[in-house]
Amino acid sequence: MKFKLHLPPDKFNLPLAPMLDIALLLMMFFVLNLKLVTPQGNLDLNLPISAPNLVQRADVNLTDIKVGLHSDRNGVLTELTLGSKNLGNDDAAFDRLNREILQIIGRPGNPLTKDVEIEIDADFETQYRYVAKAISQCTGRIDAQTKQIARYVEKIRFAPPHKPKA
Amino acid sequence: MKLSPLEANSPDTDMTPIIDIVFLLLMLFMIVINFENSKAEDRTRLPKDGLAKPPEVRPEHELVLNFGYKRNRDGSKAESTPTVYFNDRDVEVGRLGIELDQERRAMEQQYGNRVIDDVTVLIRADADVPAGLVQQLVQKCQQNGFTKFLLRAMVEQK
Repeated sequence: MKFKLHLPPDKFNLPLAPMLDIALLLMMFFVLNLKLVTPQGNLDLNLPISAPNLVQRADVNLTDIKVGLHSDRNGVLTELTLGSKNLGNDDAAFDRLNREILQIIGRPGNPLTKDVEIEIDADFETQYRYVAKAISQCTGRIDAQTKQIARYVEKIRFAPPHKPKA
Repeated sequence: MKLSPLEANSPDTDMTPIIDIVFLLLMLFMIVINFENSKAEDRTRLPKDGLAKPPEVRPEHELVLNFGYKRNRDGSKAESTPTVYFNDRDVEVGRLGIELDQERRAMEQQYGNRVIDDVTVLIRADADVPAGLVQQLVQKCQQNGFTKFLLRAMVEQK
């Protein structure tokens, strides 16, 4: 009499193909839904923008810097001014604005200019991109060596809005 | 002489490294993916700026206002007047007062009456929007008690 000894198989072959299929399907789902977002940041405005009924400030000794942005009907910048000085209307005009602000305050982080305010006076039609750039150039610059932001003026406000051009 | 036919030896491929790589990639994409509603982000083309820095600490109470144009598929403006994308609706700046008032009341009801002093209004305005309308938007917010503002821009990498 022959007895056959049935031993369990030494190897258990787990079918991996279905698991790989599911994993690849999941990966395809996430790849297709992935959105590459450009990093965004904030331009800090440390002062509330001029309220409609602004109380006259008693301390008139502070130096206020007025930046003017004038544009045509389409909102394209025609003139960037700092006080009465015309800085032009090209891309370099904002670099000039940055240098002029630095000259006024002396050096970045100067404690004497802690309370200096910049007033942005833009035409109604001026495109927001120019205003954002003006705010940025008044706020400071990126130091070429340290790659850190060197702060110029932190208090920025808007002048009362103008009416649209007729 | 008996010749047994040669059996084709199919090489056994080790699937373990393939599965490891696939799962690693899967985990990477699961961590990176962002399911936030980007409808508002797609329509607002923020201005680029080198000084715009990502916030280190997100404000505890934040009100995001997306201000831009409805655009066609090719990117051209569908309407000449920009609108504020607020609560999944398009609202003109002039009619935003009611919406902001409702939002303020809802926040006060949820967090208390003093919360309005801590709310930061984050303005995501399209680069082409007239500055005068942005100022009107800010004034509307101020009329409804909001006092803190942040302007958002895209980080310009040079």
